[in-house]
Amino acid sequence: MTNDALYHEGMVRLARAARGAGRLAAPHGSAARDNPLCGDQVHVDVRLSGGRIAELAHRTRGCVLCEAAASLLGGAAPGRTRAEVALARARLLAMLSAGEAPPEDAFADLAIFLPVRDVRSRHECVLLPFDALLDALARAEE
Amino acid sequence: MKREILAGILADAAAKRSVVLATDLGSGEARLVRPFDPEPGADAPLVAAAREAAERDASTKVELGGATVFLRVFNPPVRVVVVGAVHIGQAFARMVQLAGYDVLVVDPRRAFATPDRFEGIPLAVEWPDEALARTGIGRRTAVVTMTHDPKIDDPALAAALRSDAFYVGALGSKKTQAARRERLRAMGFGDADLARIHGPVGLPLGAVSPGEIAVAILSELVGALRRPGEPIRP
Repeated sequence: MTNDALYHEGMVRLARAARGAGRLAAPHGSAARDNPLCGDQVHVDVRLSGGRIAELAHRTRGCVLCEAAASLLGGAAPGRTRAEVALARARLLAMLSAGEAPPEDAFADLAIFLPVRDVRSRHECVLLPFDALLDALARAEE
Repeated sequence: MKREILAGILADAAAKRSVVLATDLGSGEARLVRPFDPEPGADAPLVAAAREAAERDASTKVELGGATVFLRVFNPPVRVVVVGAVHIGQAFARMVQLAGYDVLVVDPRRAFATPDRFEGIPLAVEWPDEALARTGIGRRTAVVTMTHDPKIDDPALAAALRSDAFYVGALGSKKTQAARRERLRAMGFGDADLARIHGPVGLPLGAVSPGEIAVAILSELVGALRRPGEPIRP
């Protein structure tokens, strides 16, 4: 599928909104992940409070899919626990590669990535910001 | 050479700024002149002569106001930024080094930008606009894009067009160039800016292999450096 077909308007808008873009001055945990074939790079800073994400900021450069996923996380992740983010990541993977329905909770907007199901090589682009956030959360809890 | 003159030359070298040491061969008096960023009140004919020498990258003797002055040009090294750790880039980067220029290969795709593919060549696994902002783009910089991926090539070209780079080249077919021009136009670049992009890049030699294409690009680049504004005939 060409990028033009894959990147529908809602996804591009989400990417451009870049929710959560930035840095935290004193993060509890930070992590970076990249996609060696695509060039996507995501750095995530996170602060926790009472076991939940109090603040999140990311520096993301990459394709529209990666930037849209990071923007979605910027909006949906604050207030969530590490377990909830891990579950969302699992639901996202199942939606993309196992034909399952999108989640219906705080991460319901992941439905926006349904068209990516058919393009296996781009799944990692959507998952990358989640993986970076999970790494940052793991470091925050150390 | 006086210490403060040497210090001035070194400071400008560190800042990647051109500077000319003008020495009056009669009196021995020497002073530094910035050809492209002259101090207010600097002697206009001296600045103009220094500028011409710096542009030609050739130290020279001139007659100024009845005195014979030797202009010693100190230009920053020519630097070529190659965007795309791709096949052609592997040949091109090595040729750039053989031509005596500095080279930097930039590609955010870690799978491509590996030291074993680019032995002895400076690599930046970064997005090109970030790499170019970090290293700076000046009159002695050339930027050539070759990833064929607009999300990587376009930011590099945009950064190059906003600078004084002496050569901006973009690999890609005529069809790709047209689409790229429209995307850059949508970013706010006008006809004069877009005309700076050499694309399809390289002299029309009929080059086929990555090595041949690299020769064609490097030849065009050298022509842009040494004969700016002149068409190069293969």
